[in-house]
Amino acid sequence: MKNWLICIDDTDDIGTKGTGEIAEEIALLLAQTSGGKASFVTRHQLFVHPDIPYTSHNSAMCFALQSPLSQAEIHRLAVAHLVAESAPKADPGIAILDVDSDYDVHALIDFGLSAKREVITKEAAYQLAEQLQIQLTEHGGTGQGVIGALAGLGLRLMGSDGRVKGQIKLGQLEEVSLELTVAEILEQTGLDAVISTDKTRLAADEKVQLKGKVKAVYLEHQFVLLVAKDGELWRNAGKQALQDY
Amino acid sequence: MEQELLQQFEYETERWIFRAGLQQYSEARRVAQLCPRFAPDDEDEQVDDELRSCYNCQYRRWMMTSFECLMLKNTVLLTN
Repeated sequence: MKNWLICIDDTDDIGTKGTGEIAEEIALLLAQTSGGKASFVTRHQLFVHPDIPYTSHNSAMCFALQSPLSQAEIHRLAVAHLVAESAPKADPGIAILDVDSDYDVHALIDFGLSAKREVITKEAAYQLAEQLQIQLTEHGGTGQGVIGALAGLGLRLMGSDGRVKGQIKLGQLEEVSLELTVAEILEQTGLDAVISTDKTRLAADEKVQLKGKVKAVYLEHQFVLLVAKDGELWRNAGKQALQDY
Repeated sequence: MEQELLQQFEYETERWIFRAGLQQYSEARRVAQLCPRFAPDDEDEQVDDELRSCYNCQYRRWMMTSFECLMLKNTVLLTN
């Protein structure tokens, strides 16, 4: 099995299937086809600026894949799904990184960080991809999605950026809290840790009150449930707290 | 388009920009209640715990200090 990191961007339009959903579908497809394993999908916020065309947001979606498939097979399957599911007006791009290859991880992280604070050209993205031997391809429209796709790889590799796509459902209700220990949460969700908004790591026997929409973030190279103190209780962090990720 | 709704936005260079800016959750929720075209964005793109909020709408386009409302842009242009 080889290790891959795959990122897509600019696949959607108002009222169409979101990029995150398409990424999740590709992850599932690749894992099922090969008997491999895909990670959670992480969402990475990029720069919002009038010069950057985007739909309701500007974010890339990334996942890790362990698979015996060749790079050519991964690309073929992923692109077929990307093209089939992307909105007609979208500008999709995809980046595929062989994580075990010898590449300059710092250059890729720097590119990701730059894409969060400045406008970057497609040419710059292609140039870096070629230099690092990352497969970067566009599939319709202006192809601008290659910028976010490459940047998303860098941000995922940085290890502390992005929210995990989807919600964590453990039986909690919108208005009624469910109390679980950290150990129970980790066992039932597949997450790696429970960490507070001020970066304190909770012990396995500590209790957390879960209510409403529960989401995870990617922090310190782990999938993490973010919690905040409410009096003496730990509660899952709200969307406003998650906005920083 | 309801006048009270339009008043919450500044019209500049063909963009309807939310006057209250970012992280003004109560204002974004109040304005969304006035809007007949509110449409929630993907759950992954929502940033307000209260669903009906301009910050959660698929017609908002984030800017550095606020957001632009595409619904107003399209609707007002059509009705004028």
